[in-house]
Amino acid sequence: MEFIDYYKILGVDKNATADQIKKAYRKKARKLHPDLNPDDPKAQQKFQQLNEANEVLSDPEKRKKYDQYGKDWQHADAYEHARQQQQQQQGGFGGFGGGGFGGGQQTYTSGDFDESQFSDFFESMFGGGGFSRGGRRSGPSQFKGQDLNATLRLNLTDTLESKKQTITLGEKKIRLTIPAGVEDGQTIRIKGHGGEGMNGGPKGDLYITFEIFNDTAFKRLGNDLYLDKTIPLYTAVLGGDITVDTLTGTVKLKVKPGTQNDSKVKLSGKGMPVYKKNDQFGDLYLTYQVEIPSNLSAREKELFEELSKLR
Amino acid sequence: MATEKYILVRQYSEHSRIEPDFIQSLFEYELVFPEERDDEMFIDENDINEIEKMFRLHRDLGLNYEGLGAVNEMLNRIHELQQEMEKLRKRLRLYE
Repeated sequence: MEFIDYYKILGVDKNATADQIKKAYRKKARKLHPDLNPDDPKAQQKFQQLNEANEVLSDPEKRKKYDQYGKDWQHADAYEHARQQQQQQQGGFGGFGGGGFGGGQQTYTSGDFDESQFSDFFESMFGGGGFSRGGRRSGPSQFKGQDLNATLRLNLTDTLESKKQTITLGEKKIRLTIPAGVEDGQTIRIKGHGGEGMNGGPKGDLYITFEIFNDTAFKRLGNDLYLDKTIPLYTAVLGGDITVDTLTGTVKLKVKPGTQNDSKVKLSGKGMPVYKKNDQFGDLYLTYQVEIPSNLSAREKELFEELSKLR
Repeated sequence: MATEKYILVRQYSEHSRIEPDFIQSLFEYELVFPEERDDEMFIDENDINEIEKMFRLHRDLGLNYEGLGAVNEMLNRIHELQQEMEKLRKRLRLYE
């Protein structure tokens, strides 16, 4: 367990006034508040440290203890015991009014956070009490736990069918069904798999954002797929059959005679599965790229010249 | 009508320990809109996250109600802009 420098956390001098501490806390809280930094998983932890520092330094009694023992806090019990013995021998009443170190009886109440949010250092020095901040109420507030964010990377071809997957979050394994057709950047919510609630409040939710790596030659836009398909000049001019590889297999297509470069055809239902809609699919759009033959033989060139004279 | 979607303000307040006065002020500043039935005030369950977020901002940062409205509005706008940016980024990838 390490000593925590609360002054450093708040960025104030050891002689800072209560007002300076309050201002420093507010200034840092504005930057670190988890609600203002929903995408920063460390925001909550940093904010808790800040709260803890404020909790100690804004309370004259706690600040006094903290300042008194400082880095020697581990020996505070012994100091305190010796001091009380000395005072009893002198017939006086000393100490800190029932407070104590190392998990002694505490009187701090009306917290908004549970004990697990204190550092070991705090609990060792001030016991397992709650925050005194916001003492407007007599009991602890219940809050939903923090929502957690996670990213799941999948290949596009993994999203063609719904499938079950187990993900590991810390020490917890969560089995979830990934619906077919999930899109890159799409987020799903898994209720009750976030952080622990505060003071008996419900657990937060887990938000999983999918990062889909396109491992195909297709371009995807929504549920539709796009592909540039090269066809020979002669097929474009005279028409013919071609085969196209789709995500669900090879299909045979007829190319009309006189097909122009960049012309498009739609293959209905050959796109991506529609998210959470059974048996519904997007379309596949093919753009024909007519391939002009190169390295013509003398005979081919002659025939093309002949053809050009006919037009 | 799906009545289970609405929660009685005083019940929510007892459960969450967020003072009814705070919730009442959110109504007054039109930061949350109440549902009024048979002289009882209800909140929409979809507003609970917003209420708790505003309570934390009020408690932790000392924001007043005007400030809460402004911050909340800006957070929502940032969220929308991030989504829009993500959508445009994806479209751009199609032409790259």
